Formats: sequence, structure tokens, C-alpha cells
Amino acid sequence: MKIRTEQFNELAAVEIDKARARPFLKMVPEFMYRIRNAGMPTLPDPPAAQKYAAAVRAEVVSRLPDLLEEFERNATANGAKVIWARDAKEANDFIVGLAKERGVKTVIKGKSMISEELGLNDAFKANGIEPWETDLGEFIAQQMDLPPFHIIAPAMNITVEEVRDCFMDKAGMKTPTVDPVELGYAARVFLRDKFHRAEMGVAGVNIAVAETGTVINVENEGNIRFSKSAPRILVSVMSMEKCIPTMQDAVDMLRVLIRNCTGQRISAYVSMESGPRKQDELDGPDELYIVILDNGRSQIYQDEGVREVLRCIRCAACVNICPVYRQIGGYAYGGAYSGPMGQTLMPLLFGLDRTKDLYRACTLCGACASVCPAGIDHPKLFLTYKAKDVQGDPQFRTGKRPAREAIAFKLWGMGVASSRLWNLGARLFRPFFNWNAHDGKVSSMPGPLGAWFRKRDLPKMAAKPFRDRWEDIKRRKP
Amino acid sequence: MHDVSLFVPCAVDLFLPEIAESTVTLLRRAGVDPVYHKGQTCCGQPAFNNGYRKEAKRAAKHFIELFGDDEVVMSPSGSCACTIKFHYPELFQDEPEWFRRATELAARVYELTQYLVDVLKVDDFGAAFDGRVTFHESCHNLRKLGISAQPRKLIAGVKGAELVPMNQEEFCCGFGGTFAASYADISESMAQDKVENYLASGADVLLLSEPGCLLNIGGYLSRAHPHKKAMHLANFLTENMKEARS
Amino acid sequence: MTETAREAILGKLRAAPAKVVPERPPLPPMKEASLQGEAMIGFLMERLAAEACTPFRVKDSREALARLTEIAREEGLNCVMTSTDEVVADLDLPAWGRANDVKVLNPRQFADREAYKNAVFDDAQASVTGASFVVAETGSLGMAHGPDNPRLLTLAPILHIVLIPVDHVVPALDAVVGRCFGRPGKYPSQFSFATGPSLTGDITGYLFRGMHGPRKVIAIVIG
Repeated sequence: MKIRTEQFNELAAVEIDKARARPFLKMVPEFMYRIRNAGMPTLPDPPAAQKYAAAVRAEVVSRLPDLLEEFERNATANGAKVIWARDAKEANDFIVGLAKERGVKTVIKGKSMISEELGLNDAFKANGIEPWETDLGEFIAQQMDLPPFHIIAPAMNITVEEVRDCFMDKAGMKTPTVDPVELGYAARVFLRDKFHRAEMGVAGVNIAVAETGTVINVENEGNIRFSKSAPRILVSVMSMEKCIPTMQDAVDMLRVLIRNCTGQRISAYVSMESGPRKQDELDGPDELYIVILDNGRSQIYQDEGVREVLRCIRCAACVNICPVYRQIGGYAYGGAYSGPMGQTLMPLLFGLDRTKDLYRACTLCGACASVCPAGIDHPKLFLTYKAKDVQGDPQFRTGKRPAREAIAFKLWGMGVASSRLWNLGARLFRPFFNWNAHDGKVSSMPGPLGAWFRKRDLPKMAAKPFRDRWEDIKRRKP
Repeated sequence: MHDVSLFVPCAVDLFLPEIAESTVTLLRRAGVDPVYHKGQTCCGQPAFNNGYRKEAKRAAKHFIELFGDDEVVMSPSGSCACTIKFHYPELFQDEPEWFRRATELAARVYELTQYLVDVLKVDDFGAAFDGRVTFHESCHNLRKLGISAQPRKLIAGVKGAELVPMNQEEFCCGFGGTFAASYADISESMAQDKVENYLASGADVLLLSEPGCLLNIGGYLSRAHPHKKAMHLANFLTENMKEARS
Repeated sequence: MTETAREAILGKLRAAPAKVVPERPPLPPMKEASLQGEAMIGFLMERLAAEACTPFRVKDSREALARLTEIAREEGLNCVMTSTDEVVADLDLPAWGRANDVKVLNPRQFADREAYKNAVFDDAQASVTGASFVVAETGSLGMAHGPDNPRLLTLAPILHIVLIPVDHVVPALDAVVGRCFGRPGKYPSQFSFATGPSLTGDITGYLFRGMHGPRKVIAIVIG
């Protein structure tokens, strides 16, 4: 997909307008937040479970190379073929090359954020192969040529009227309807044919179990099970950090992942592949390829200050609770990943220079970190990225801060260590700031902070700041 | 009795000095006569939050020099307290002596409501208010310092005041320091949501204990709903106390 | 090419500063793990209902078949496909089918993959299967797929009828670890947990049952 992370401000402004007109951006993340909160207490001790999951994910990051080798060994012993890809090009070349070699015309895809990151669908299309997204939300987004609006519910912002029009046009729907159930049924009928006839399935991976060489998928619709069961070739694409040490760990993590994502005790389907089908099986893939993708992650891994971002399990709890996401929705982030998890990951994948707004458009409220089952401290990461951006970091490609900002902070830095300079600065600034004050308020000011005053006032700067009142206060004994 | 040193946020000193005055009144009412270091400037939060760590360090060293010997450092702002407690040690990872001093100081820094209720064990200042109030949970207080019960206890100590719930009271108001101007579209939208929730609560006044939130929510109210009030809890208590003057 | 990619990636990971492996804090066990006997079956029935399976409790095979007859009538079934696992084998479904005018197919009768696939996609109005085990904690069917219960059988037909003898019920999800992943080289090529009919909320967050997998699941608990 086209990366538009540098257009954050324009996209955000457009989306805020839409959000006022379309109340479901207010409703759906709130709804998902509520069902998560309702589901967490079905664990005996939710905070303990969160801490445990975070520790497992931290352990995975620490042990990553060993776990990957163990996973590869066991997956290969199961009969799977493990392919390593340094970047999107290597991954796409392999997958598309395999498809061409096998005469594949149609590919069915289970939901995979990694395949979005790779731009795999475009690579297929460029080679005359038809990829079909089969997750309902991804299918709608694909047919409407839109990026995902949310990592779990990619088309939740699309109105039923738009879905109807899309399905009439592209999914063979004959009778117009705006009933979501009937729309869903139309998609079922249309995609069922693809499930039946596609020669290749591509799925993502939620969990790669090192101990057994197993790849696990979590879903509610059944399209991933179809993608893994009906075609003769299956490609499972995983980013390297998806490992979990043991099958017992996987069960424990599934309980935490699914509740954080949708509040369910378990999703409708959890399916686990350990190698291709056995000789005497009637369905399932003859060949299973597991593609392990780097695409910038081994680079992230070098920096101990930021590599906790690799703990993410893609539950979207952070997305649903984020007050900024709730104002702007997924498109403004300009890439496959949105919300706090996107704001922490994409700067490291694409460069701090191309994603300046992603790690700045945050109030540091910490709601995300408070719900993250992987123990990621998103605000701390944003502060780290901003510091890198100011200091320069060749590993993550920093840009240059605007001269005005750098100078302002330099001056501020001089004043802050000397109360004399500080007070002088305040004394000089006061008449300028209070110039147009009325009724004790200021409603406008030129300069970079002037945007504050579009919809808000500030109190005028006190004629007597507290420090000038202290002598009197000190004298007034209780 | 501890030697309590007032840490007055720069925004309070310059824009909202009455919050600091109320803080002194409350402390004296609780039996503590605070000291105030006139040399204080700014804790450095804006610089730190924008990635200017070199400049933030200058602020931090100045602060530690000034406050380093105080038994208790107390601020009517949770976000400023957090800067000392969490960010100063981070700043000095590569300077062991400053790191030691920062870590030691961090343990002695308190937010106002936390200090009044948990340490001084006072939650009733003889205030009375005939009306409904609601409370905005500021992000740093709630999530970084675990402070929520304390301001609520102080509100409960106000005779006659009815605390009504507000929808999404723990949601960020959209201030975020320079965020409010740099991402004004988003910030305004968040402030608007907060204000709509406040109006829907039926409360006569919105209380909060973070000056930044007050500037933001108060600033939005001033423009859009000038007859509706938001107040710092310290001001609310002192304005409604029987003998208000300290 | 991929050999080099492997070495490059692993090399980079190993060159990174090593990090301390944190100790894991305690994880309180699921309360459901201590369920047993009738309490466990009762809990299972609740979970099945909560997950929109239509659960029935019957005493024995005879009652199970009677219930199946009811279901076939209500759902207007003419053609079903069954698994060939031991649960279903006990019931002699081909005989039941003959007696009730329902065509009973099973995967093993097809000459090849294509013929089976066409039948499971297009002909079978319902599947009737057992499960390797059934989890009370979540109301989940645990299925180690194979020739007796192939993958598409419980996925493609729009109705899935599952027969659950009480001795197949386990308290918690953890059962999968020992039962299916205890012996390397003996793992099922695909294992699924299926819980209720398929589900989606992708259109404006409106949740409904029946997406790509079965639209309806009927569970008959026997014993």
C-alpha cells in the first residue's frame, strides 16, 4: 500500500470532520473498549494475566534468535518449508514466484497485516494473479480500494449504503439491501466460490510456537480456516517477533490476546498448522511454506531502548482506547497500522523523518500503556523517538527539527537555569501576550502557538505572578 | 513535621497564581507552613516532552540544586511531579552522581491531593458548597501516580457538595502541552468531547487537579460556554471555606 | 538466496546486545480447570448456549438419534456428510439416514480430493461429527483433523451438528497441550478449536452469527 505518513495533518483534519458527521467512529472503538472490559474479568486475575503475558513477550524478545531457530527446526521436522525474507521484495518475490511456478491463478487471503505491509496484493496483481481478501472487512476495503481503518475491523467506518453499492458492483449481489446480515450473506456466497477453487492460500500468523513448529491463527469468520484447508498450497507469512516458546504458553497467550481484542473467552476459530497435510488426508495443503519476515525488525532489535515495540501481539486494545484515534480513525496514520501500536511501529520501520507526526500526535495520556497486555510503554517510546529526532539517530533516519523550534528551546534552556533571566523573560513577554486581553482573558496571539486560540482562550498573564506575591503570603500567618 | 517546599508549576506562577495561593492556604489549614524557593523556574516538562533533553537537563540540574535538600517537595500538578519522579532519573542515565541525586529527590516529590490526604491525613477543610460537582481525572495523576481516591475524598469532605458522575471522566481532555497547538484540530475535538460530557453531567462546576487540563478545558469553556465553570480543586476548597483568608 | 537471508537475519539478531530474560510472575490458573463431573457438564451446557450453539442433553445413543431425526425434520435436511470418528461410528448414521430418508455421505467414500471437495461445498446441507474433545471452559470443540474428520467437513456446510459424549468433555483449553502436542512427530497437521457458529462485526460493528463458516451449530451432549 502507498505510505502516506507524511500527510498526517491533512488526513487528520479531513477525518475529524467526517467523525462529526459519522457517529460510528465515536461508537465502535467505545463499543470494543467496553466488550474488552466486560471480557477481562472472566480471567481469575486480569492484572496478573496481563503482567504474565507481558513477561512472556519480553522473554520472547530477549530470546528471539534462539526461538526462531527452534521454530524453524520443528516446523521443518513437521514437513513445512521455512523461508527467510530480509525485506518486502524478498518476501514478495518468493511468494509470487512460487505462485507462478505452480500455475496459481487465484489466491485466497486470510487477514494479515503483514501482507498489507508487504504490498503483497499489488505484487500478485502485477503478475497476473488474482488475490482475494476473504475477511469481510478486508474484502470490503479491497473492493473499495481503501486502506484499513482499524487493524481488527478494517472497514468498520464504511456505511451499509456504501457496502451495498460495492457488493452490487463487485460481489455479484443482485438484490439491494442495507441489512448487515444480508450483506454478510452476499459476501459469503461470493467468496465461497473463491474458497472452493483457489489454488493457493495466504494467511498471517498470530502465534508461531517454537516448541512444536506450529503456526496458529485466531479468527471469527472462518475465512482463515478455509484459506488454510481448501487450496493445495499454503503460505503463512509471519513477522519474526510472532514466536511464543511453548504450546502451553500459546494457550495462556490466547486467553489474554482474545480477551484484550474482543472480550471473548475464545474466538469462534483457533486453528493450528503443524506442517502440511499428511498423506492420507483429503484436504489441507500439500505444501506449507512459512515465510519469516524481517523488513526492518532486526534493525529495531539492535536498539534496546526501542525494541519493546516488538512485543506487540496486535490485539488493538490500545487503538480502541486511544482518544486521538477516536477523533481521527485509521486513515490519518497513513499506513497499515493505526493507533498507538502504529505510532510506535511505523516510525521505526519507515524512518523517524517520514513519520514526524505519528510520534508527536499524542498527549502522552498513557491509556494505551495501561491496557497493553504486552507491557509496551507507548508514551515512553514516543518520548524516546522525539529525543532521537532532536539529537539525530542514523539508524532510524531522523530529520531536522524546524529552526524556530530548536531556537525557542535553546533560549528557553538558557532562561530556565537562571531565575534572573527567567523572570526577565516573563516580564518582557507579559505585555506582548496581554496586548489584546479583555475581561482577564486573551483570545488571540500571533506565532506558532496561535492555533490554540482558534477555539480557546487563555487567562491573561497575571500582573503579579505567584513569586511576586510570596512575600505578602509569607507574612500573612495562619 | 516535614519541611514542605512548594513546587509551583511555571504555568501556575504566570497564569494561575491563585492555585498556588490556595495551595498555601490548604497546607496552613492542615498545620504545615510551607517554604518557597524563589529561584525556581520550570521543571523542564515542555523541553523533555519535545525531545530536547539537553535543555531539559539544564532545567533538571537547576531544580535539583534548588530542591535537593528539601524533605518534601509538593506541587499542585501531577504532571510536573511526574517529570521529577520519572523523567529526571531517565535524563541522568549517563551521569551517575546526578542520577543518584535525582532518584533520591524523586522519592520525596508529591502531588497536592496525594500529600494532603495520604501524608497529612486531612480531607476536610471546613468547606461547604450547595450544588453539584463533577471531577475530571487527569492522565498523569490517574495513570502515572495512581491518584484518584484522594481528590475524591477531598470533594467528599465538602459539606453539601454532590459529586455526580461524568461520562468518560478518565478520558484525556486533549491538552498534552504543545500538542494542543501543534495538533489543534485533534486537541479541540477532544476538548469539545470533554466539555460536552461535562455539560451532560448536570454538574454546576467541573473540578480537576491539573493546571494544564484547567487551561485547556477552561479555555474552551471561556470561548464556547462562558457561564460554565471549571476550577482547580485547591481553589474550589479555599473559595468555599468558612474563613477563606490564610 | 534464502540461505543468505537466513544467515543475515539471524546474524543481525545475535549481534544485538543481549538482554536479560525476565522472570515470569505467577499466573493464577483458570477456575474452570478444576471443574469435573456433572458440574463440568453443566458449565459446558451454559457455555454452548452462550456461544449460540443450540445445546441438547440426551441420555444415550438412542435419544441422540431421536434428536437427530427431529433436527433433520426441522432443518429440512436431505443430505448430510458425517465424520468417520469413533463417536459417529457408535451411532450407525448410514442406517439412520436410510430410515429417515436422509442421504448420508462421508469423506472416505470419495475417490479423490476434488470429488470430496465438491460434495462438502455443494451437496452436504449439514455435517454431523464428533470432536476429539470438548472444552467446558469455553464451549469449544477441539478437533485434531485427519481422515476421520477432515478440515472442511466442519467448516463448509452451513449447519454443523456435533455429538458430544460426556466422556469427551475436558475442563479447560490446556488439554490440547498434552493430548495433541505431547509427542514430536505425532502432531496433527491441523488442529482447530471451534466455538459456536462463525461470527463477524466487520460491517459498522454490528455483530451477527453466520459468516464464512457454519451459520448454525447444534450440540448434542450424550450421557
